Amino acid sequence: MPTATLSAVLNPESQQTVSPIEGPAAQNGNGHGFSTLAKRLDSLNGKTIYLVDTGFGGSTQFLNQLQTWFAEHMPSVKTVRRRKPGNIFRDDSKELWNEIKDKGQAAVLGVAG
Amino acid sequence: MVKDDRRFHGVPLRFAYTPHPVVGMPPTVLRGYIEGKDPATNRTVIDELLEALTKPVAANERAESFAPISRTGTRQALLEPDTEDNLQRLFYERGWTDGLPVILPTEERVARMLTGTSHAPDEVVGEVFLFDTKERVKFTVEMVAVVGVMAGARPEHLPVLLAVASTTHPAIQPSTTPFACMLMVNGPIRNELGMNSGIGAFAPGNLANSVIGRAWTLLTINWGHMRLKKTLWSSQGNPLGYNNMCVAENEERSPWEPFHVQKGLRADESAISIFRGWSFINNGGGASHRSVGREILIQLQALPALYSAATLILDPIVARHLKRDEHFETKVDFARWLAENYKIPAGQFWDTDLIDMLMGPMAENVEPYATWKKLPKDAPIAPYNKPENINIVVVGGETSPLWKTSDFAHITTVPVDKWRAHTAADCADGSCGLPDPEPANQS
Repeated sequence: MPTATLSAVLNPESQQTVSPIEGPAAQNGNGHGFSTLAKRLDSLNGKTIYLVDTGFGGSTQFLNQLQTWFAEHMPSVKTVRRRKPGNIFRDDSKELWNEIKDKGQAAVLGVAG
Repeated sequence: MVKDDRRFHGVPLRFAYTPHPVVGMPPTVLRGYIEGKDPATNRTVIDELLEALTKPVAANERAESFAPISRTGTRQALLEPDTEDNLQRLFYERGWTDGLPVILPTEERVARMLTGTSHAPDEVVGEVFLFDTKERVKFTVEMVAVVGVMAGARPEHLPVLLAVASTTHPAIQPSTTPFACMLMVNGPIRNELGMNSGIGAFAPGNLANSVIGRAWTLLTINWGHMRLKKTLWSSQGNPLGYNNMCVAENEERSPWEPFHVQKGLRADESAISIFRGWSFINNGGGASHRSVGREILIQLQALPALYSAATLILDPIVARHLKRDEHFETKVDFARWLAENYKIPAGQFWDTDLIDMLMGPMAENVEPYATWKKLPKDAPIAPYNKPENINIVVVGGETSPLWKTSDFAHITTVPVDKWRAHTAADCADGSCGLPDPEPANQS
């Protein structure tokens, strides 16, 4: 016996009104505009690379291994270890970024997830 | 998620993936990750890292190429007519359910649900960031009503659902860890809705406890927080997510003030409170050979003391015993005693993964953490240094002097009453709901 047809069933996803898009700045949760990547390095030889520990589980140990890899394979690269200050999930401190701009030429942040 | 997230934030970072997980892996495995393949690209991770730092920036990595995400097209308000079976399958396959069948939200059912509040269907309840599509959306009273119908709720439950929705707090966090929440109701609405705060309060069987908690999960799903393998990667998940431990506090049998009163509301106001964490310890036996406090101190060893937070759920028998026989006049007194008497070695605290991740940065320059960090590993510390973060609530049916101990932190308490339907007192002159009268003279 065929089952009766149901009509007028509401779509749960139709009830959401998207906030108006006012340009790139409105899309960024932090209220910042879009950024462009910094110019890349021609070579890493003799450069200072900051290895920034986000604090996520395993980050310290992973970056330990990355630092060891550089020491073994690219000894001319100086690596500097830092732990990201402040909240792990927020861009709430500029001190480290300013230090990297001042004293380093590149940064690797890890790990997430 | 990573690709979407950088687009949303407008920051075109270069990244590489390692195999998962990283946490808990020995040095040899982590070294293997660095020298091995990125599972997303099949290229060597170290090569990708070196390339990320040296390969010139391409045109498609410039800011302008990261166009804002916008919803295209109009989502149909009504689904195509179909059989009940097919619609149930549709809801499941679209990822709108918790895996269980739902009550299909027909216009008639939603209209009936909306009688549970005095607020207009198109009133915006809140704004959320959809985790799966990276859009900010506003959701309305009607949307909450739709989800309430799906969960099996009745109109009288809607004010509580709206209060929960207004917090915009998700019931389930999109983490690889098993986050969970507890939803507790205080005040007169508990009894109006027939909520269970006594025997089997956390067990299946009570309509209000079940559907209110379930509706919050369905709301969270709708907000994109629980799309399995898209936004939710919890390795094992948490079974508490089915109804989020939705419960009422047993105010009548508690010797202490209700939780919402502790948070500044009046006893005759109704409120919901949200707690969040990972773990609960259920007691199988009472405190026969040690005090309740000493038993709880033992159980706390299994929990991380993250931000000094814990939540204890005490049966009324236990609560009355603590007040009458152990002289803890208030919940705060007992919380303070626990905070002062729970001590662990500093190394046990700092070597806990969650503590290191979330509180490690505080050891740089925030006391007492900076001092604790410098102590020898075996030096004792009292990690619940903020007893106000130890929450105590009273739930249970007094058949056994038991309790539950958890690492849950209190997130928020919000009033419910503003979301209620009109009452007789609100409509003293009898004209509520009538259309405005026409002007007396029209010429």
